[in-house]
Amino acid sequence: MDPTIKINKRVDIITIFYAKSPEKTLCIPKKMKYKGSEITFTTFGMRHPTARGKRMIHIFDMSDGVNDYRLEFDAEGLTWTLISMIEGSYV
Amino acid sequence: MYNISKEKALIMHIDLNSAFATAEQQAHPSLRGKPMGVTNRISKECCVIAASYEAKALGIKVGMRRSEVMAICPKFILVETDPPKYNDVYRKLIKIMKSYSPKIKMKSIDEGLLDFHGLEPILKGQSLTEIGYEIKQRVRDEIGDYMRINVGIGSNRFLAKQAAGWHKPDGLDKIDHTNLIDYYKSIKLTDLTGIAKHNQARLNSYGMMTPIDFINADELLLKKQVFKSITGTYWYRRLRGYEIDDYETNLGMVGRQWMVKDPSSKNDYLLPCLSYLCETTGMKLRFRQVEARGVYIGLSFQNGEYWQSRQTYKTPFYTNQEIYQKMLELFNKRPHGTVKFIRVYCYNLVPSGRNQMNLFEDAVKKEWLTKAVDEINEFYGIFTVYSAGSLDGKKIIKQKIPFGGTDYFDLLLKQS
Repeated sequence: MDPTIKINKRVDIITIFYAKSPEKTLCIPKKMKYKGSEITFTTFGMRHPTARGKRMIHIFDMSDGVNDYRLEFDAEGLTWTLISMIEGSYV
Repeated sequence: MYNISKEKALIMHIDLNSAFATAEQQAHPSLRGKPMGVTNRISKECCVIAASYEAKALGIKVGMRRSEVMAICPKFILVETDPPKYNDVYRKLIKIMKSYSPKIKMKSIDEGLLDFHGLEPILKGQSLTEIGYEIKQRVRDEIGDYMRINVGIGSNRFLAKQAAGWHKPDGLDKIDHTNLIDYYKSIKLTDLTGIAKHNQARLNSYGMMTPIDFINADELLLKKQVFKSITGTYWYRRLRGYEIDDYETNLGMVGRQWMVKDPSSKNDYLLPCLSYLCETTGMKLRFRQVEARGVYIGLSFQNGEYWQSRQTYKTPFYTNQEIYQKMLELFNKRPHGTVKFIRVYCYNLVPSGRNQMNLFEDAVKKEWLTKAVDEINEFYGIFTVYSAGSLDGKKIIKQKIPFGGTDYFDLLLKQS
């Protein structure tokens, strides 16, 4: 019923910061290394900020065309965490 | 013949289609085009609080239980709510709306009104229909390409809302004196906002079976016999496009309710949750700049029984500690049983008198402490500092998704 798979692991990310782009896509993760394989994001879902105490966290919902990934960028610690994913084949 | 208002249609109603479900589909492309819904917390008997259009097409409605939904569509996807995501959508929608008119009013988390009265000179000949299409495009550009809104334009709030619901999803319609009657001919009585089963039966009993019969009815008949109050006159005018819904409602109560995650009778589990509910109630109270003179607590038990208690006080109060102490006094009088639902609220609200000087040192200290904690939370984020008693409660209770009003969201936005 709920297709979300919780992961919560630090991951390697390649990000692009655009000089000129609409606000929602000024910064987007492009590639991720997870469990030894390289995942290229092709679809941008949404980005929204949220605060954890005084830490600002940016949550990115991305897709590689098959699966959806939820990533968190901690703007203070400069870390990327893969929070969860939805397997496209499941839904 | 109908005495319809000839006023220009200058009210715009904006409604996000299946807001929470569409926001999830926007974030998760794999859920797009599929029957899915959102629930506050996935459990055996949780209910759907928002359903996608694909789910609605199958007959799945908001409020249905998980078992009912699965019987209709075994492949139905249910995900948990994500309040920060909806906060962001709400914030962006308000930002777009405010760039067109200073007179906006959010009716709920997913719908709001723009009033263009007096703004014709700065519209520079741009029609409201053109602005409507522009807003639709901006929602797609600035919030997400899967987000869809309905836009309704009317000469009063009622007609603007009706227009927004005319062609769902992603519609844009205008209702004014030129097409009002044609519109009424195309809909049923229950399609009118505010006419549900009860009012339909009331109108039917006087021979009014369609909106056309309703608008044909005499004002006195509506006032003296059908509605037996001024409501009849309001309906007479509302249906004709005259504005009668432009008023502010008085704040009557402030509170919270919570479906207990694991129903329990134990104080060890329930008290931290009660403390947390009282903290959020206190925050809401101070955000609205009011103080309360009464507390109410209502509990539903596993065996189906409901218990409630209330107490009114002479002196107003506003701190989290005061609210919790007062609630606790009532809570400790509860009958024995497994609690599955808690409702707490403060009533008899009066404008805050915190700016007045106080002779008593204790009261001043209390005020300073509350102010300091509020300022820290405002600066560093909600619940940076809170009482130790709420520690466990905060871990258990999820952030609330408001349906009726938007005050709590405004508070969260202010603090985020």
